[in-house]
Amino acid sequence: MSEILLAIDVPGAALESASLAVAAGEVVALLGANGAGKSTLLRTIMGLEPACGAVRLGGEEIGTLSASRRARRGIGYVPEGRRLFPGMSVRDTLLVGSRRGTAAAEQRMSAVLELFPMLAERLATPAWQLSGGQQQMLAIGRALMGEPRLLLLDEPSLGLAPVVVDELMLRLRGIAAGGTAVLLAEQSVARALEIADRVYALAMGRVVAEGTPAAMQTSGVLERAFLGADAVPPVRFPP
Amino acid sequence: MTSAALAQSWRRLGARAPWALAALALIAYAASASPYGLRVLALAGVQVVLVLGYQFIFGHAGALSLAQGAFFGIGAYVTAILGSRYGLGFLATFPLSILAPLALAAAVAAPVLRLASHYFALATLGLAQVALLAAVNGGELTGGALGLTGVPGIVLFGWAVPRGFAFTAVVWLIVAAGAWLSLRLMRGLTGRAYTVLRGDPLAAAAIGLSEQRLRLAAFLLSAGYAGAAGALDAHVLGVVSSETMAFSVMVACLAMTVVGGSTRLAGAFIGALLLTYLPEWLRSLEGYALLAYGAALLLAIVLAPSGIAGAIAGTVAALARPERPILPAPAELAQPQGPSGLPLLVVRGLAKRFGGIEALKGIDFTIDRGEILGVIGPNGSGKTTLANLVSGFVQSDGGTVILAGHNLTPLGASEIARAGIGRSFQQPALPPELSVLEMAALARASLSNDLGFRAALAGRDRGDRRERHEAEAMHFLRILDADAYAHYPCSALPYRSAWRVEIARILALEPKLVILDEPAAGLNEAEQGELARNLRRLARLGLGLLVIEHNMPFLLPVADRVMMLDEGRAIASGKPEDIRRNPAVVSAYLGRRAGLA
Amino acid sequence: MTAFLQLAFNGLALGAAYALVALGFVLVLNATSAVNFAQGDLVMAGGYGAAALAALLPLPGLALLPLVMAAMAALGLAVAALAYFPLMRRPASSVFISTIAVGLLLQNGALHLFGPEPRAAPAVLGGGQMHLGHVVLPYQSLAIVAIAAALVLGQRWLFARTQLGRRMRATAQDREMAAALGIPVRTMIALTFALAAALAGASGALLSNQFFVTPTEGGALILKAYIAVVIGGWGSLEGAVLGALLIGVFETLVAAWFGYTAAGALLYGALLIILLARPQGFYGEAAGRRA
Repeated sequence: MSEILLAIDVPGAALESASLAVAAGEVVALLGANGAGKSTLLRTIMGLEPACGAVRLGGEEIGTLSASRRARRGIGYVPEGRRLFPGMSVRDTLLVGSRRGTAAAEQRMSAVLELFPMLAERLATPAWQLSGGQQQMLAIGRALMGEPRLLLLDEPSLGLAPVVVDELMLRLRGIAAGGTAVLLAEQSVARALEIADRVYALAMGRVVAEGTPAAMQTSGVLERAFLGADAVPPVRFPP
Repeated sequence: MTSAALAQSWRRLGARAPWALAALALIAYAASASPYGLRVLALAGVQVVLVLGYQFIFGHAGALSLAQGAFFGIGAYVTAILGSRYGLGFLATFPLSILAPLALAAAVAAPVLRLASHYFALATLGLAQVALLAAVNGGELTGGALGLTGVPGIVLFGWAVPRGFAFTAVVWLIVAAGAWLSLRLMRGLTGRAYTVLRGDPLAAAAIGLSEQRLRLAAFLLSAGYAGAAGALDAHVLGVVSSETMAFSVMVACLAMTVVGGSTRLAGAFIGALLLTYLPEWLRSLEGYALLAYGAALLLAIVLAPSGIAGAIAGTVAALARPERPILPAPAELAQPQGPSGLPLLVVRGLAKRFGGIEALKGIDFTIDRGEILGVIGPNGSGKTTLANLVSGFVQSDGGTVILAGHNLTPLGASEIARAGIGRSFQQPALPPELSVLEMAALARASLSNDLGFRAALAGRDRGDRRERHEAEAMHFLRILDADAYAHYPCSALPYRSAWRVEIARILALEPKLVILDEPAAGLNEAEQGELARNLRRLARLGLGLLVIEHNMPFLLPVADRVMMLDEGRAIASGKPEDIRRNPAVVSAYLGRRAGLA
Repeated sequence: MTAFLQLAFNGLALGAAYALVALGFVLVLNATSAVNFAQGDLVMAGGYGAAALAALLPLPGLALLPLVMAAMAALGLAVAALAYFPLMRRPASSVFISTIAVGLLLQNGALHLFGPEPRAAPAVLGGGQMHLGHVVLPYQSLAIVAIAAALVLGQRWLFARTQLGRRMRATAQDREMAAALGIPVRTMIALTFALAAALAGASGALLSNQFFVTPTEGGALILKAYIAVVIGGWGSLEGAVLGALLIGVFETLVAAWFGYTAAGALLYGALLIILLARPQGFYGEAAGRRA
């Protein structure tokens, strides 16, 4: 059971306090406008931001560990904008995501390439020449090379065409089905509600709502959080 | 005398006493020193002048110049050549030794100062190498590698200064003059302007400080002081050679500056004296000068980056009882009442690309006096780029920005700040080393042109003028209810109050248009209400406001009009109520599949 | 024509040695964003190391080379520990200064251990030369070109084909992202310093046979490495090697006709012009980005 129980208390603007949990095989979405604190929360879990509070991964307290140690404990990170290494080929990008030697890494790579066959055809291509959707797949693949228990994604659908995002979401469900816990931050409310098992809504650095997608839609809390209370016509999302 | 005034007098005495004691000790030593000892003392004085000069460009302006040794050498050679070959006297050679490196610095300044730090260091290093080559290969003129001998002594108005005490005294009188000048230039607000410049270039531009002018002045001064030091060196030693131009001079200067303290007057003395005498004391261990310099420099930069003087000042500050600051009374400034409803800002076709990405694809809009325009849009839509282009922090690729009839498009950030556009940043641009009051007073002085070396020499950046600027600064702080924070260092401001200080900073430059980038971030409801009230107040006074926000519940009630950006284009514009209902806006915020019920 | 070819070859050999220095310089630059001003003095240390080892072990230069490089790698770790890691969170100019300081310590160390007299390291394979037409090709010069080429290719192989090399590249390109992938960033940086020092040491060992080594010669070398990196483009490995080769050939050609002084002056003059006109070199980032 890969459950993180997170209570963070951060001085400063972006994140006031957030408490959440993700279980193995679950897809959990963080919703919120920009500045709400989604990215900061993910970075804090990864160890890239200073924070006080508890971060437990599978029962183990990792809050005092550096980012690279947390990665080795089983967290994979797909940052906003992908942050692929300039100049590295697809193959090198994937291999560097593994902490093993070349031979073991290549084995893991063939497993990851089954998930993303379009990358298998382009192993020698420099990463910057790939399309947006392919780059996103590559970034996810890179994170998967480390065999993470928890996968963090920061706005994976940003800048991608809807049909590509459909593909992406399908893949993420598959990854979760394989037992990985998936926590993603999404600005697109509709997408998040489609894919997630549970949703947290953040506003101004705090969790303001939590629940299943169905419950979030009927309560109207999202519209209030994003657009302001009065005179907003009810917005219905596709079932 | 009130107790506060008495305490201040004691403090001043306490600050001056060490100098008086040191001067007395120096004179006492010199009176009883051997001729050799006097010579070393004179050489130490030469190094003090060199380091004082280096402090301008390296310490205050924060630029790693590696040409200081070359300027020193040029000064020395000018004195030697004109003195020994052409028989010119001190009163002619000394000023020329200052002017020659100054001229060189002026000649290369324009292109070189624009370079980013490691290129600037390299360019100055290259310059130093060329100077060395010129010296070594100057044939008869420079005496080649062996150099020139027979540099005459110092002759002042017919009096040949005898070697020994008098000679050393003359050198140290020049040192004192250099120190006096350095103090006068840096003691006032100009010195504080340099602190902001090197630590926080963004805040410097926002306050209207001209980075180019300040850096140029520092570079020229450092060259002039180096020339003076070189001239004195030639007189003391009686010879110049390629050693005088060698890189080791530069390294020694750097070591002395870092070890002593690169921004404090005392640091120049401490560093120069320490590193001149250290090899003397270690003379039994031959040739360990380089080792001493290397070790001292490494220890200093790692353990005590502000040098010995900085460490002492820090200890004194920690031990001293915190003084109860006396806040200046706020000045009464007339409220600007501009006529509302007239167009203030006209933006046409504003565009920007970053590499292959078009961040802004041609934006048109206007803001009238007294109007609040809200700008909304998802991540990456170009809102902050828009703010950067209008305020001059980024150069546009097309379009015009016209404020009150003046075309601001070609201007840079600091010029635009002084021309009437103020802005805030997502992370408040407040220089951490200054107090809130100093920062605001600096903005006032910047507006009144009371900064810079000419102003410092004329005394316009301290005394009465400074007090007036501080009083005016208090006025703006009080408007924002931030006057209680006046003596806080900007780095110690509680996050929730930083917004007040930043808006006070903006107002202190008397802007016509204010750009605010996500001002409500991190504020609770009560603070947001106060912010909203303040914004309305500014609008009533005739200012135009451009407010970028994600927080719709905050923005929609405050703005007169709202413009929405998406992927670099303005896709909607109108009254807040209409924007709220606009389907394009809703779908951009809530996801493309959302529709109206 | 023969003279030209001869000079070109000599210049190539010189440039090959410079290439090792420049390569080490740019490796550290990429990994740390900081200028390692001690790189030239590390070359000097390599030269002295080779000379000292030769006095102890009567082996040909080729056998000594790996030992020198290993010792220099250790020295590189020491430089990283003294001059870089304590200053990791400070602006890059602090590291500039701390490496100047370490360079001073290296110079002084050499002065005290070896005295001010110039020393020479043994030739790689012994003296002698071969002839290609009328062009004289000393074995030493051939060896320099061959060994430098081997080392440069070796570094390329390391970076392209091993996990260690990939991790070092990742650390140099995006330190935070590398950490998020579990890469031990500090170890990678330390190894980069070690590699740079080993390359510098090799260069020193090779050069000090022909050009005797003195404690202060590091200064001119660092400037040339710096210039090579600017010519080739700040941050580009290939550019640094290319730039170094160009400098070697340029220096040799100009020196033959106008003397070493003119060569130096023209080189620095060219540097200043490049910085002012096209600071981004052939491949690299723009130099003049002031707000």
